[in-house]
Amino acid sequence: MSPKAVLGLAGALIVVLIVSSSVYIIPETHRGVLLRFGELIETDIPAGLHFKVPVIDQVREFDVRVMTNDLPARQYLTIEKKPLDVDSYIAWRIQDVDQYYRATGGDELNAISLLSSRVDNGLRDEFGVRTMHEVVSGQRDELMEKLVTRIDETLIDELGVKVLDIRVKAIELPQSVSENVYRRMRTEREKLAQEFRSRGRELAEGIRADADRQRTVVLAEAYSKAETTRGEGDGEAASIYADAYQADEEFYRFYRSLTAYEKTFTNKDDIMVIDSNSDFMRYMENLQGTGANR
Amino acid sequence: MAWNEPGGNRNDNDPWGSGGRRGGDQGPPDLDEALRKGLDKLNKLLGGKKGGGMSGGSGNGGSSSGFGAVLAILGILIVGYVVYQSFYTVDEQERAVVLRFGKYHTTENPGLRFKVPVIDNVTKVRVTNVRTAESQGQMLTQDENLVSVDLQVQYRVENARDYVLNVRDSNQALAFATDSALRHEVGSAGLDEVLTEGRAALAINVEQRLQNFLQSYGTGLQIVKVNVESTQPPSAVQEAFREVQRAKEDEQRLVEEAETYRNKVVPEARGRAQRMIEEANAYKEEVIEKANGETARFVQLLNVYQRSPSVTRDRMYLDTMQNVFANTSKVLVNTENSNNMMYLPLDRLVGQRSNTDSSSAASSSDVSGSNTDIDQLTDQVLDEIRLRSNNSSVRRGR
Repeated sequence: MSPKAVLGLAGALIVVLIVSSSVYIIPETHRGVLLRFGELIETDIPAGLHFKVPVIDQVREFDVRVMTNDLPARQYLTIEKKPLDVDSYIAWRIQDVDQYYRATGGDELNAISLLSSRVDNGLRDEFGVRTMHEVVSGQRDELMEKLVTRIDETLIDELGVKVLDIRVKAIELPQSVSENVYRRMRTEREKLAQEFRSRGRELAEGIRADADRQRTVVLAEAYSKAETTRGEGDGEAASIYADAYQADEEFYRFYRSLTAYEKTFTNKDDIMVIDSNSDFMRYMENLQGTGANR
Repeated sequence: MAWNEPGGNRNDNDPWGSGGRRGGDQGPPDLDEALRKGLDKLNKLLGGKKGGGMSGGSGNGGSSSGFGAVLAILGILIVGYVVYQSFYTVDEQERAVVLRFGKYHTTENPGLRFKVPVIDNVTKVRVTNVRTAESQGQMLTQDENLVSVDLQVQYRVENARDYVLNVRDSNQALAFATDSALRHEVGSAGLDEVLTEGRAALAINVEQRLQNFLQSYGTGLQIVKVNVESTQPPSAVQEAFREVQRAKEDEQRLVEEAETYRNKVVPEARGRAQRMIEEANAYKEEVIEKANGETARFVQLLNVYQRSPSVTRDRMYLDTMQNVFANTSKVLVNTENSNNMMYLPLDRLVGQRSNTDSSSAASSSDVSGSNTDIDQLTDQVLDEIRLRSNNSSVRRGR
């Protein structure tokens, strides 16, 4: 190889080196700033291929994607001074790269700790004006929205950071309070259990009473019907007797009396005291039968 | 919190973790080394056969012909490597996000794809397979009770571009958002609702809320399904909850016992009622039939009587009296007030008599036998009658 060729090769190599150090690529997920001797001379550099002066210029790039960070769990007091352990997270991203660089030096951990303390303060304020019930159920969205707007206003200017969302992951009761809740829950359940049992007895009693009523009514109705039927029988029989007997009432009385005598005196233990003047005995004293009927 | 990441392509998990090697990690990592080794071997081989001109070297001087050949082979290999680097495959379950000079260029579908080496940067993302995330724990309900909920979220990447470019760690964002959405929705529902019929609604609400969160962050994730796997009262109070369950069963049992009682009592009463009515009907029939019978007999007799009244009358009277007197003990009295049947407390006297004369039970009722007891009795009767009517003539009869 001739020295010329070697020289050419070396030259080409140097050119490539210079070009490569003066070209930089910022990926879609990032934004960059260009520093010349530490001074910001180009800001908010978008994704793509860019040029810089080698050696002199320095590029810092920052991830501008949405990031979610867990914030440390803290205890807050509600308006009724009930303590709650709150675990939250924040969704944020770098909005203004220049401001972000100025405020944090591009240190993400630093940024998060700044964010965290602001959120902490904000949450403390928001919790302090609400009841536990409001915090737990009704007003979570509202609380978070308020917090986000309040924090966001200042953060864009100060940190170059946009807060998308602050969410409470968990709102928990401290252990000591949990014990009270358990006790209350147990009492509630006991109440409920008692209610079920009592209602069971109530229903059962109702059913039994209804059954007894039905029985009584059924029997009473049957009795009424039976008596009516018997009455009908008696009535009809009486009318049959009356129809027959009125043909000769006197004979009937006679006939009936005889039957009655016969039926009444059936036992030899019966003792009868008879007037000798009775019709039966009329011939007892004389043949003409005048003794009795004188 | 357990995160189930599908195994396989490590690029999915953290495509930017190896930012320094960007663009260089697409080929097999040992290719360079293999290439170098191959070159070394070739060099040695050629060096050993110094002077042997090869067809590869064109017009080279004798001393530099070996170097030229090496250069040529090196060139070919570099070209081959570059070509090899320019193609990549996208699996059926993947999409590839391509950045050109750092800018988003395109999202490629499955198949063999071409890229410009160095300039293009390809990130493959699994999009079709469903991933799962879980969230569980104890949380507050609306009525300030505690409940343990176990939730599983099934999701997949819907938009590979958003997944790669918008959020730094979509999976973590999902995990946080799931926790938040779940606790929010549980906090908006009552304990009983969460434990029982509200579970389906809970899953739906969490899904909607979670999807909203993910959309607002631009994660490119799509929720497929949210399953509420279990909702339980905290273990500290579970016994009390079981007690309620038992109480419910007791309630049921008491009601059923009462119903059993009802099913016994009411039909029995109906049966008795039926019997009462039937008996009444029987009585009615009986009375009427008896009336019919008795009147029929009477009418027959009446017919005879009307033909010869006095004879019939006397015969009937005497027959009857005969029957009556034949069956009773008799005391005949003759009093001033004739035609009076007197009633005396004889039954008591008869009782005394039966006791004293226990030797002959048969003869005690035999009135016809002349018996000192009867005489005695009759005397008592007569005394009694005398007391009642002073002016009466009393005689003793049999």
